Amino acid sequence: MKKHEPISIETIKAMMNLTDEDLKKPLPKPTKWSQPFWDAAKEHRLVLRKCSKCGFIDHPPYLYCTNCHSDEHQWIEASGKGTLFAYAINYFGVPFPFWADLPYVLGMVDLPEGPRMISNIVECDFDKLANGMELEVVFDDVSEEITLPKWRPVKK
Amino acid sequence: MSKGEFAIIGTGEVPCGNYPERSEFEIAYTVARQAIQDAGIDKNDIGAVLCAQHIMSNPDNDYNTEMVFGRLPEAIGAKGCKVTCMTSSGGASSFSLRKTAEGILHSGETDTVLVVHAQRFSTFTPNEQAKYFSIAGSDVEWEVPYGMTYNALAAMITQAYMNITGTTIEQIAAVCVANRKWAMLQPNAMFNQKEITVEKVLNARMVSYPLTTLMCNVLGDGGSAFIMTTAEKARKVCDKPVYILGEASDYSHRTITRAGMRDFATMAEYLAPIAKRAFERSGLGPEDMDIFQIYGSYPCIQLIIMDALGLWEPGTTGALVASGETSPGGKYPVTTNGEALSFGHTGTGVGIALLVESVRQLQGKAGKAQVEGARFIIENTGGGAFMDCHFTVLGNQIPG
Repeated sequence: MKKHEPISIETIKAMMNLTDEDLKKPLPKPTKWSQPFWDAAKEHRLVLRKCSKCGFIDHPPYLYCTNCHSDEHQWIEASGKGTLFAYAINYFGVPFPFWADLPYVLGMVDLPEGPRMISNIVECDFDKLANGMELEVVFDDVSEEITLPKWRPVKK
Repeated sequence: MSKGEFAIIGTGEVPCGNYPERSEFEIAYTVARQAIQDAGIDKNDIGAVLCAQHIMSNPDNDYNTEMVFGRLPEAIGAKGCKVTCMTSSGGASSFSLRKTAEGILHSGETDTVLVVHAQRFSTFTPNEQAKYFSIAGSDVEWEVPYGMTYNALAAMITQAYMNITGTTIEQIAAVCVANRKWAMLQPNAMFNQKEITVEKVLNARMVSYPLTTLMCNVLGDGGSAFIMTTAEKARKVCDKPVYILGEASDYSHRTITRAGMRDFATMAEYLAPIAKRAFERSGLGPEDMDIFQIYGSYPCIQLIIMDALGLWEPGTTGALVASGETSPGGKYPVTTNGEALSFGHTGTGVGIALLVESVRQLQGKAGKAQVEGARFIIENTGGGAFMDCHFTVLGNQIPG
């Protein structure tokens, strides 16, 4: 495949007449039912909402258990391990706040606890990405309030 | 719904592309009159007017508000109109609009329903379009903060599908080539001037690996309309009504990570029972279909839907497309208007355009793209982040 020169963020900014506001990254706005997840992430812990009645783990979490409608639940510590189910590498045509990060990897990560998450795969060699590879969680403090759990390949 | 209870008797459509001067209202009024003329009915026979949702809104004159507040029946002078509303399920809107129309027809309040779609993207800035559309398929709390995009979602599904089925990137590109060949035969398609090759698709700018720009759909302004009636009325007013023979649906998820099918290579296992139900209700099988109107918006999704039809071994449809058998003149005509990839992505209208094209084919009005002697078609639609799937079997005759 042909190599195309990347278009710099400065060029895009001038071309699209973007303001600094346009380049602000969107952050999660926690809901009443997701707040504990983000509170834990801030402490560099990965937690999941587990129903105390039926044991179902909901991710993303909702107001009540999507399996049995019970309100009773606990936040369990996830192992922090995962496997890569699939990935994509963004090179072009992303929302402008992410333009400066190009190219970057998005992955679907399967957790042994059950849920699947979409996240960035970081600290990786693009050529070595492989479906089924083992991953571990890392935490990216993107603002004072928000920490994003991300994933990197497990070093052998 | 019983088999062949409802029929479509007329359609309208404007060219898809960049037309900033053509307002969404002008599109709606134009396609409405075309459909009425094509059906050969009196405008005052229309008892219900249904509108598809416009994507993004113009703060000075919001189309959605206007349509919800009854602008269209007044503007087209539908003096017999009793019911008007907007129905939306994103990309699956062709299906939910038709279901709404069926319910209204079933109620007995009227026997004639007009359905209209209109969309104009080109007046919004690239920044506004990127903000809205690049992330519309993604979850704002759990995905968007990671730089997730619609294209990346399709790219991940493509990457997983290729990895598990052995489908090659050349075969994925062949879908785009086949779609373009059909679009070349369509006067209203956005990209009907230049053929593309597998090499050209692969060498286009990489957007989201493994997808290049030519593997991603392009937004365009456009619109279409159709008129639906009871089969009884259809036979009285129309030489060649197109009957709805069988339909089936399923909903899976909002967030792709919660999709019922965990393994996209076997997504066909999730989709196949839906297609099977639609076939069963129509009394026909996949081998009876003359055309397959497959809506995927991305080449790999088209293959996954084809995998589900029960006619081909799942995972082999990439090779089938690459063989040319789904292109014009092939044994299995697939997606004869060129779909979102070459006809253009008109928001909630991609599935409506495919339905309208299906009707044209079955009425013998498809011009250069006409598949000779087409009697039966299966078409699908779906919306969101591949949240749902609806199959419909259509025919210009009701099988015994």
